Formats: sequence, C-alpha cells, structure tokens
Amino acid sequence: MTTLIDRYVSTALRRIPEGQRADIDRELRASIEDAVEARVDAGQERDAATRGALIELGDPDRLADRYSGRRNYLIGPEIYPAWRRTMIALYTVVLPIVVAVTTVVQLIDDPAIGRVIGGLVTSVITVGAHLGFWATATFALLERLGLTDRVLRRPWTLDDLPEYESGRLAHTQLVPNVVWPVLLIAGLVLQQFTFTDVPVLNPANWSSWWPYLIVVLILEIAWAIQVFRAGAYTRAAAAANAVLALLTAVPVIWLAAQDRIFNPEFPGLAPGSDALYIATMVVIATFAIATVWDIVEITVRAERTRRGLTTQVPGTRGVL
Amino acid sequence: MTMDPTLASHLQELRRGTVVVASLTVLRTPGYGYSLLETLAAAGFEVEANTLYPLLRRLEAQGLLTSAWNTDEARPRKFYTTTPQGNAVAEALRTEWSRLDTAINDL
Repeated sequence: MTTLIDRYVSTALRRIPEGQRADIDRELRASIEDAVEARVDAGQERDAATRGALIELGDPDRLADRYSGRRNYLIGPEIYPAWRRTMIALYTVVLPIVVAVTTVVQLIDDPAIGRVIGGLVTSVITVGAHLGFWATATFALLERLGLTDRVLRRPWTLDDLPEYESGRLAHTQLVPNVVWPVLLIAGLVLQQFTFTDVPVLNPANWSSWWPYLIVVLILEIAWAIQVFRAGAYTRAAAAANAVLALLTAVPVIWLAAQDRIFNPEFPGLAPGSDALYIATMVVIATFAIATVWDIVEITVRAERTRRGLTTQVPGTRGVL
Repeated sequence: MTMDPTLASHLQELRRGTVVVASLTVLRTPGYGYSLLETLAAAGFEVEANTLYPLLRRLEAQGLLTSAWNTDEARPRKFYTTTPQGNAVAEALRTEWSRLDTAINDL
C-alpha cells in the first residue's frame, strides 16, 4: 500500500537525476516525518498532519526543480537581449528577403495569381516558424550548456549605440533622392542611342511612355530638391512622394505585364521566350517592392518628424 | 501595512541571501533539515521547507557544508555542518551586511 508520503516522494523523485534519488528520498522522507511529528505533537490527527505537512511543502515538481537547480525558463535574462535583437533582425530583414526571393521564383515558375498568393502565405508561415523555432532553440541550448558567457557576452561598447538624425534632413538624404532618377533617365536615354545597336527597351514607347517617365523622374528630382530646401519631410512631401512613386511604378508594371516594356527585336528577348518572362518578372517585382518600401519609409519619416522624434540612421548599429 | 505584490517582491529580493548567512551560522552546530527550519522560523527568518532543503544540498555541493547520516536514533537524519570555508563565506557575508546597514543609515 502506498501512503500519501510515498506518492509525494515518488512524484518529486521522478524529476530528479538518478544518481541523487536515493539520498534525496531518505532525506525528504525524514524531513516530512519530522514535520508530521511536530504537527501531531501540537495535537493534530496524523492524517491531517500528513496532509498539512505535504501541502506546506508544496508542488513536488517545483520542489524537484529546486533540488536539481533546473532552470524554469527557456531564455534567461542574461541572453534575453541578444535573443530579442536576433529575433528582430530575423523577422525584419531575413524573413522579408527570403519571402521576396521565393515569391519571385514562384512568379517565374507559375504566375497564376492564386498559387503566388498561396505560396507567399505558406512561405511567410513556414519560414517564420522555422526562423523563430531554430533561433530560440539555439539560444535555449546555449543557456543550458552554459556557453553564453563564452559565446554571446561580447562586451557592449559605445560603438553599439545606433546613430540618430533629427527630423532635419542631412545632406546624405539629398544624394540618393537625386541620383536614382538621374541614373534611370540616363539609362533610358543611353540604351536607346549608345549602348547597343538594338535598344533593350521597346522603342515604340518613345512616342508615349518613355518621355512620360522622363518627365515624372524630373519631377522626382524637383521633389528631392524642394524637400532638401524645406529641410524636413512633411506630410505634404510624403504625399507628393507617394504620388510620384505610383506615377512611376504603375505604368512600368502595367507595360511589363503587357509585354510592352522590352524591345521584341532585342536578341534573346523574343516574345514568348523564357528570358523575356524572367526579365519581366524581375522588373515587376523590383518596382513593386521598391515603391512600397519608398512610400512606407518616407511616410514613417514624415510622421516621426511631425511628432518631433528622431530616426535611426540606416546601417548604424543597434539592429544586431 | 498592505502587502501589495510590488512590496512583496521587493521584500523577497531583499531577504534572499539572508537565509544562506543564517543557515551557515546556525549549522556551526550540526543540525538536520527540519531542526534548522524550526530554528530559523523561531529566529524570525521567513523561509519555506521547499526552498531550504534544496538550498542545503546546494551549499553542500559548493563545499560550504558537509553532511553525514546519523542512524543512532529511531529515525535516520542527515546532519549538516558548516565547513571552515562555509564559515569564512558566512563571515564575509556578515561583514558586507554590516557595511550595507551602516551605509543605509548614513544615507
């Protein structure tokens, strides 16, 4: 017949390493019986005294954890900051890149919209789950093996502080905003007249869309200079940026989707060829992602400026 | 005095460690788990059995206590005794305790 004390001790011992069981068994029983005896001496019934003593000792699993010095957490406070930084980097940098690449591959492989969306959702979920699980599992393992001191505790230095800029624009902001439209205009014009005998882009568009794009790109340069002179991103500037970005991207994507962007005469880009298909998908994906990124980034910056917040300078420490 | 959770957690943090000093001091005379528990409770230390018993084994593993089974009496009991090293640690902890007490009073 097993007594209540037997059951309690057996439950606790389950979670204790084999080598320590016999000793803890004896010691725990002696201590429990001491406590029961003290209660009986104080006038309690033996049954009630046993129950009282065991209840006071509490959950046997927790007791076992205390005996084993087992850690009751997955990621301890020592490595939590490193784990958190890793998670942020994984989900804001690695996950979008992996999903974007798999989506482009899917577009090339089979552009049926249902499959593309299905593949997108699937890869977000599976890649996201794998990233989180394996990174967390690694951190938990490091914690258990006690390797955190040697592996992760790179001493924090002042260089780890990210840099911030105020709402005021730095000179560095003007340069990319002007250089990109200039490069695009140059590429558009030069490919027609100098680079190759046969232009890459469809010359039929010179009577309509290519001049239109050049005008929009010149407007983007004007926008960049205007924003730089004003000294800060405002809501109006963000709205203008969004309009200009869409005025660029929508026609380009529309032209690409209709196979009107590349010159059908260009060697290798014959209508219906795989190369044409891949080039079209790359153009669509690039313009779609870049446009969304641009609109979101400028909107966020404008909003932060409006609230008087500083913005972290991209590429400075603080992400990893 | 209200024992809101914030106060309770701060008190727990403040008291953690005092049990180690107290145990090492009391066990200069050999004692077993339950006897130590009663001594500490009588002296006003708030410690529970499920914390104290594992703590004793941890201190033993650290070489601050030694243990021996006493089978002379009806119920065999494991007696713990503070080692010289344990005594030195207790001494150092008490010195630090006094220093902190003085420092707090001087604030």
